[in-house]
Amino acid sequence: MAALSILTCSACGRLDAGPRDMCPACAGALTSMPVEGAGTLVSWTVIRRPPKSFREHGAYCIAIVDLDAGVRITGRLRNTPAHAALGERVSLVGCQDRIPVFALDR
Amino acid sequence: MRRVLVAGIGSTPFGRHGDATITSLALHAAGAAIAESGLDRARIGSLYLGNFIAGPLTGQEVLAGLVADGLGLAQIPCTKVEGACASGGIAFRHAYLAIATGLCDVAIAVGAEKMSHADTASVTAALNCAMDNAADGVSGLTFPGLFGLAARLYGERYGVGRAELSAVVRKNKGNGLRNPLAQMGATLRDEEIEASPQICDPLRLYDCCPVSDGAAAVVLAAADLHAELTAQPVEVAASVQTRGSPRIGGHRDLCSFDATVSAARQAFATAGIEPRMVDLVELHDCFSIAEIIDAEDLGLIPRGESAAWAREGRTGVGGDRPINPSGGLLAKGHPVGATGIGQIYETVLQLRGAHPNQVRDAAFGLTHNLGGTGVACTVNILKRLDA
Repeated sequence: MAALSILTCSACGRLDAGPRDMCPACAGALTSMPVEGAGTLVSWTVIRRPPKSFREHGAYCIAIVDLDAGVRITGRLRNTPAHAALGERVSLVGCQDRIPVFALDR
Repeated sequence: MRRVLVAGIGSTPFGRHGDATITSLALHAAGAAIAESGLDRARIGSLYLGNFIAGPLTGQEVLAGLVADGLGLAQIPCTKVEGACASGGIAFRHAYLAIATGLCDVAIAVGAEKMSHADTASVTAALNCAMDNAADGVSGLTFPGLFGLAARLYGERYGVGRAELSAVVRKNKGNGLRNPLAQMGATLRDEEIEASPQICDPLRLYDCCPVSDGAAAVVLAAADLHAELTAQPVEVAASVQTRGSPRIGGHRDLCSFDATVSAARQAFATAGIEPRMVDLVELHDCFSIAEIIDAEDLGLIPRGESAAWAREGRTGVGGDRPINPSGGLLAKGHPVGATGIGQIYETVLQLRGAHPNQVRDAAFGLTHNLGGTGVACTVNILKRLDA
């Protein structure tokens, strides 16, 4: 499974999906930490009318994922599913232009 | 803090204004508000202007100074405020504070936006300035997308869906039909809503507010000036502004906005009333699902029941919790920077008993303006002077 880089606070240990300049809880320094790209699907939608900078992507599927590591991130679902149940297991399959891309585990 | 009155209101219709500049729209609304108040413009001690995207869409900034100059105001502080879709509400609150704290006796809040000349992709891109573009924006998420995500989660959690979203759309479009300022009133059948194009599943075109031009303005005055006012004033019982997470991942729940919850709690505490005492609400229905969520966040309807209330007609003008009798953003339109002040305009008309969709014997009205991904929120409670 592909790994994802998130941030952890060296002072209080808080995790953050980033990017951030300092820990929002204690202003401590943040360092990156690799985590497994496994998680559950919180919700998803299909953007059928993309803004200018994403026009060349055509319609695409946005997913909110709760990583098992304990942070919530905004990414994409590979392929637009006919149906994806909320709470379904997903895994990171790669990144496209810095965007984490997930696929349903089934 | 001193008591503050809304002394005069003005608004352009919301919709397409072709060749009119954003400045001329703002001047039209502000001039009407000043004239109605009966107060000499020389007494205005500060101006706050709410606007979101005049820079990218019209190439015009310094709107606060331009509008003050056009109105012939004195050399007073003129400030443009920006809080995405809550810009107008924030301008109102700052004008309120200027008087409540005794900095001046009369202030004006103006909101304006000009959007309809731009193509949809440019408008979507400009609106995306309200997202944390280092965090969520990179994914290609849009505002319709954010509310599509919320609609799917809300629908699954509470077992509701198209029928309830459509009930909100039908009500607000119907209310808009009777509001002369509204851009897109309509009598819609569920089949027409269901046949409209998908925008961000499960949201369809009719679930989304239109792109609009427009301006609204209110003159605020210290309560001691009551005897000099020529229009029926209403009192600002509370004016609250809060912040929430700019990031999707920072919200505890996709079906709730913390900024709304905390603003509403503070507003009710300040006004000294219970949510059930509110006679009408003008809230931020940028999308149909937003009305359902906002009503719960504001504490007006129990969590998880808002969709059913919409379906049962309880949020109509004659219902037990009238929401958006103006038609809301869905029908009246959403000239972003003007919206929060347009909500005040509508609520003042209600409390004067002069609204085209009058709620019977309205004494308390609440307005709710939400910016970005819930990053900024204002909640105001207005009351009739005899309430």
